[in-house]
Amino acid sequence: MKIKVFYRQILATLLTLTGVVACGGNHDLKFKDEGLIYCSEGSPTSFNPQLDTSGTTVDATSHQLYDRLLEFDPQDSKIIPGIAESWRVSENGLHYTFQLRKQVAFHETNYFTPTRHLNADDVIFSINRWRLESHPYHDIDVSGYPYFVSLGLDKLIKDVRRINGYRIVIDLNKPDSSFLANLATDFAIILSKEYAEFLLEKNQPQLLDEKPIGSGPFKYINYRKGRFIRYAKHENYWKHDRAVKQLIYDITPSSSLRLAKLMTGECDVMSLPAHSELDIIRDRNNLVLDEKPGLNVGFWAFNTSKPPFDNPEVRRALAMGIDKTTLLEAVYFGSAVKANGLVPPSSWAFQEDLRDNSYNPVLAKDLLRKNGIEPGFTMNIWAMPVERAYNPNATMMAELIQGYLEQLEINVEVISFEWSLFRRRLDSGAHDSVLIGWSADNGDPDNFYRPVLSCAAIESGTNRARWCNETFDEIIDEALTYSDTDTRAALYQTANAIIADQIPIVPIAHAYRFQAYRQGLSNLEINPFGGIRFGDVENTQ
Amino acid sequence: MSFYFLRRLNLLVFTLFMLAMASFGLAYLFPGDYLTNLTGIHFESEQQRQLYATLYKESDGVFWQFIAYLDLLWQGEWGQSFSSNQPLYQEVTTYLPASIELSAYALFVSLVVGIPLGFLAGLRHNKLADYSILSMSFIGYSIPVFWLALILILILSLQMGWFPISGRISLLYYIPLDTGFILIDIIRSDVSYKWDAFNDALRHLFLPTLSISIVTSTIILRITRRSVIEVMGSEYIKAATARGLNRYQVILRHGIRNTIIPIMPQLALQFTTLLTNAMIVESIFSWPGIGNWLIQAIYQGDYPSIRSGMLAVSSLVVIFTVSIDIVHKIIDPQRLYRQRVKI
Amino acid sequence: MLKSNLYQEEQFPSPLRQTWYEFRKSHLAFIGLCILASITLIVILGPFVTPYSPLTQNTDALLVPPAWDGNGGISHVLGTDGLGRDVLTRVIHGSRVTFGISVFLVLVAMLIGVLIGAFAGMNTGMRSSILNHLLDSMMAIPTLLIAIIIVAILGPGLVNSMWAITLALIPQFIHYTRDFVRTEVNKEYVIAARLDGASPARIFVFSLLPNMVEMLVVQGTLALSIAILDISALGFLNLGVQSPYAELGAMLSEGLDIAYIAPWSIAAPGAAIFIAIISINVVGDGLRSALRNRLKY
Repeated sequence: MKIKVFYRQILATLLTLTGVVACGGNHDLKFKDEGLIYCSEGSPTSFNPQLDTSGTTVDATSHQLYDRLLEFDPQDSKIIPGIAESWRVSENGLHYTFQLRKQVAFHETNYFTPTRHLNADDVIFSINRWRLESHPYHDIDVSGYPYFVSLGLDKLIKDVRRINGYRIVIDLNKPDSSFLANLATDFAIILSKEYAEFLLEKNQPQLLDEKPIGSGPFKYINYRKGRFIRYAKHENYWKHDRAVKQLIYDITPSSSLRLAKLMTGECDVMSLPAHSELDIIRDRNNLVLDEKPGLNVGFWAFNTSKPPFDNPEVRRALAMGIDKTTLLEAVYFGSAVKANGLVPPSSWAFQEDLRDNSYNPVLAKDLLRKNGIEPGFTMNIWAMPVERAYNPNATMMAELIQGYLEQLEINVEVISFEWSLFRRRLDSGAHDSVLIGWSADNGDPDNFYRPVLSCAAIESGTNRARWCNETFDEIIDEALTYSDTDTRAALYQTANAIIADQIPIVPIAHAYRFQAYRQGLSNLEINPFGGIRFGDVENTQ
Repeated sequence: MSFYFLRRLNLLVFTLFMLAMASFGLAYLFPGDYLTNLTGIHFESEQQRQLYATLYKESDGVFWQFIAYLDLLWQGEWGQSFSSNQPLYQEVTTYLPASIELSAYALFVSLVVGIPLGFLAGLRHNKLADYSILSMSFIGYSIPVFWLALILILILSLQMGWFPISGRISLLYYIPLDTGFILIDIIRSDVSYKWDAFNDALRHLFLPTLSISIVTSTIILRITRRSVIEVMGSEYIKAATARGLNRYQVILRHGIRNTIIPIMPQLALQFTTLLTNAMIVESIFSWPGIGNWLIQAIYQGDYPSIRSGMLAVSSLVVIFTVSIDIVHKIIDPQRLYRQRVKI
Repeated sequence: MLKSNLYQEEQFPSPLRQTWYEFRKSHLAFIGLCILASITLIVILGPFVTPYSPLTQNTDALLVPPAWDGNGGISHVLGTDGLGRDVLTRVIHGSRVTFGISVFLVLVAMLIGVLIGAFAGMNTGMRSSILNHLLDSMMAIPTLLIAIIIVAILGPGLVNSMWAITLALIPQFIHYTRDFVRTEVNKEYVIAARLDGASPARIFVFSLLPNMVEMLVVQGTLALSIAILDISALGFLNLGVQSPYAELGAMLSEGLDIAYIAPWSIAAPGAAIFIAIISINVVGDGLRSALRNRLKY
């Protein structure tokens, strides 16, 4: 109370001093109501989600600019039609036929005017771009196609055939029960072949990923790295005409600043609210907080290509040295469940009886000494500089782990720097260990095992432990050949046992996903897999 | 007199030359390939590097390299940023005006607030008004500007919800950048929402301007007060009073002019302090100015940006101070050396 | 002279003592001095009194509000931060770092500045002229700007920011020493010393330096408040001291993330900086007017 009075006194003085009378707060202007501002956490690395697996890129591009053959229903995660009106799978599971929707228009912008609607050529072009190394657009961007490569999709597809203008067939080398789900992910987007050819003629093919043309609800206007992205409504969007006139991404790396902007009305929606601030959002009448259990896992990965972390016993000792329950409380404020394995409880492949290394610093210390780690050993923990759904505050978690390992007489150096630089250096394997995680892109458990721990994923840069185990790879390969979930679940349990034995990573938490926005927005739902969608959002105020 | 100007100009050219030399030297001192540090391009092939090596005359001696560098600087070829891959000349010329704009408004507010209060305190020297204004001014110029900004945000934005806290204008308003000064750009633009946008930009300006100008207006207040006290104690004021002029006539006819003229350059010099404070405040209010940009560049190890940002900011400050010196000399030829601000 | 006869004092008060009398007349300045003294005492003794370590995390007591809040407790008087570290302890340790480094930097800058300034003041000619010109431009640039530019070049970090601030503080000491030496060097007492055959170094140390002490103290307080502001500003911008070490500016920037749920985490370190600077400024101002008044007689 006293403080409030004090504030008022200061205020009165200030206002009289400067002679300024503040114009009334939320007096909203009509023009402003036609747009939507989303405070996002970082700059996308590209405007083409085929090229990057990071959530930031996906949020910024996938559902706003592009369409996919198939979609996930945000309610029940079932696969529903996208650009493909209908589809058929052959008996042997090797041939997928898709019938495409007609009258799907591409964006018309000041840098490109399309002359035709989306058809089979565009779909084939989009798939072949990442599938065929001989494709003229394959090597335009040096980053590669991490999602498709880490899942081996480029090897899986044998051919993509055009039947007629609106029908295609995809042939596989072997049956894969997660194939349809992979086509519905945020990464499997459809580009415009006509635009690509137009750019090749102009000899500027790299613009395909910088100045995007898609068929999604919004089109690209302009972008300033680290500042904002400006999208405008796509007037001829095939699905509906409800989209808001302007969509703006206000890039704001600090979560507290995002929240502050949400509170002052400078943003309508914010990404990744900090777990510590959830109560503030709940307390505010004009803000809405949605939550859903997330399909993600936050973990501590050891760089197994670097001694002494190539020794599973050392990794086990370190895993025993930390108390996950405390980390959960301090970092996630209880909005997460403890992770024993990779797969979260909401997945059918979740193994309830998976045992976990319990917190035991005495045993851990013994084990370290036995394996030649002397007191005073120094290691580093790389902590992500950004909040992610699976780890809202990696630096704080690293500092807490630093405290735990101090008890094992291990010195920890916490390393953190700017996100894109961070990932570039992480790719080169300079770290001892890193606090990072994985969010599922589709509902299939393979989407956890393969990108996080398979050998192929070292190359594509999602296997941060740089761990390669052939038995493990064989098991997860085998699991994909069955479509029966029980058989697959059994195989994944074997895989879990290998992980528990080798401990390339220490799973820490499966976090809830949150979304905060101001009252008066409708149809904004948490997408269970990956990217946010603004196409259907309406301003009902 | 002209000798003085020559000397000043000589100093200006010399200092700018030194700054250019320092920025050139930085390309060598920063880690990595010096050519990459100059151009901001991570070369993908030896061929590409060769192209730039000829442009920057790598095969010639350091001296000729420097001449080539100066030449390219002059042409606006400053290289490109590591992080955004945009030409640096373009980056600096979009971010610098935002800082200058903020500092200019803050200077204006500080003068409007500081000078009258300084007069009031000076004229009531050793009276209650003087003491209270003086004590208040201690608070003003001791408060760390970054803390002040945070407190203003907490109270005026988050508690009261009166002012926005980030950027120059709501991103929904699409204002084409022309001069780089947002208010001018809005007025010159022909968008339908001109006055809404103008109002919005003013609301965005309020908090940053306030936080910077509180500090500076107290400094200006104290400079003015000191000067008023000196002038009012001088012989000619006593003479004027003896002639039978009343107090107001004395102040109006002799006091104001003689107080303001000697301190005018010192007041103008506060602009550099403002610019520095603006650089800090920018990073709190996400103001797209040069300070915010330079600090981001430091975090990211963006050497080309650091090099040109440093060059741009220090050149601006040096040019500004030397011009103030010259103007000072024209207004008040008696004064030989600039004096450190006495507050 | 007249005054001393009037009071028939046995001994004429030394200049230092006179300054002290003048200084004591101003209540504001005297209060400032008391605050400054207690801050010094807290900073020196504080670490022996505080029950916690500034780096120890306590996950059982995260974001505890200060004692006067309903949910707070007496065990953490100023509450705790997001990692459960006691804010009061961190403020005391942070003040130690911030103020300690500042004092050190000012002393180093003063030493270097006085040496160069004396050299410049006692020499004339080309070298001195170039130095003067450069100095005049340097003086116009705010120290923080110089420091930011130097940190930009050297890279962030505590040691680099210390270098930067020292370098930025030196010019003003050079300037004042040079001006002082210039005006004094032709006075009779210096000429007398010179006629005695004293070397320039000896003249400086035994004749000039004792007369400079007051000027240096006044400039030193000014520089100290600038140094504190600058080092905490660099810390705030994450260009100086890096976490987890306690430094007031760095604490403020850490507290930014939780400013809306735990305002005390930014209020406390900010207030510490503010109180320190205001008391230094008040004392500095008091000293200056005391000197001014003394010289009036």
